[in-house]
Amino acid sequence: MDLYNLRQQFDESGMMMCFNGPFSHSIIEEIGTALRNYLAAENIAKAAVLDVFAVYIELAQNVRNYIAVREINQGEAAASIITIARWNEGYAISSGNMVLHEDAAPLCNRIKEISAMTPEELKRSYKEQMRRDVSPGALGAGLGLLEIARHSSAPMVCSVRDVDATYSFFSLTAFI
Amino acid sequence: MAELKIPQTTTTPLICFDEASTTLRISGESYPENSFAFYAPILDWVKQQLQDSGSLIIEFTITYMNSSSTKCMLDLLDIMEEAHAGSAKVSIIWNYDPENPRSFELAEEFCEEVSFPFQIVAFHP
Repeated sequence: MDLYNLRQQFDESGMMMCFNGPFSHSIIEEIGTALRNYLAAENIAKAAVLDVFAVYIELAQNVRNYIAVREINQGEAAASIITIARWNEGYAISSGNMVLHEDAAPLCNRIKEISAMTPEELKRSYKEQMRRDVSPGALGAGLGLLEIARHSSAPMVCSVRDVDATYSFFSLTAFI
Repeated sequence: MAELKIPQTTTTPLICFDEASTTLRISGESYPENSFAFYAPILDWVKQQLQDSGSLIIEFTITYMNSSSTKCMLDLLDIMEEAHAGSAKVSIIWNYDPENPRSFELAEEFCEEVSFPFQIVAFHP
């Protein structure tokens, strides 16, 4: 397979890093380390490096937790994408993964809701959510999207595309 | 008191209790695969320590923490707050790098959740 076209497409869209395949904790960790090294070499502020890293971690762990909780961690459906690209003066971090049809609309509504919040509302919601009990077996605290919004310099953008009778493909981008 | 020492990894902080100063040090970064599973034994240890000795200082030097770890930290603060209400001697020291404002903001938000002494200290790594 000649990957030159794919590479050219990446270059044109400002893509810095991309992973496509089943996520494991160690892959998330390795890509995170590589991402920080990459950004550190760009001579941007330490705080900006950590913001991009934080958003990357929340997106990646959200995807991994979702796939695990919904038990779609086998076969092609488990393959997910994470990308980090240049965007204006900053960065766009995106994730893409399969979701069950019935999960797509509530997820998009929640993102719209969060994206419309002021920083004060985000802080209040974060604290409220932090105070909520975590259901047994949950892998996350339901804080990831709020955390991402708190780091973002522009509202998150999401899109959904139907794939087959069971799944939709869900994409989410956050901007730093 | 039972010893507590968990070595640092890329995704989990060093957790180390110094009995002489009754200080539990938590330093590094925190974004484990499963934060709840990682912190559960630490929360149990803190409960026991407070029950046995009635005093504990926790010194944080955390540069980054993911959202599920912040939830675990809040649980930890709640345990300390409860002990404080029962007249235990508890306090927190939070060291942050001034080049890392997120660590400072995190400390401020945690500080708002408690009524016992919570000191936020700038350090230069």
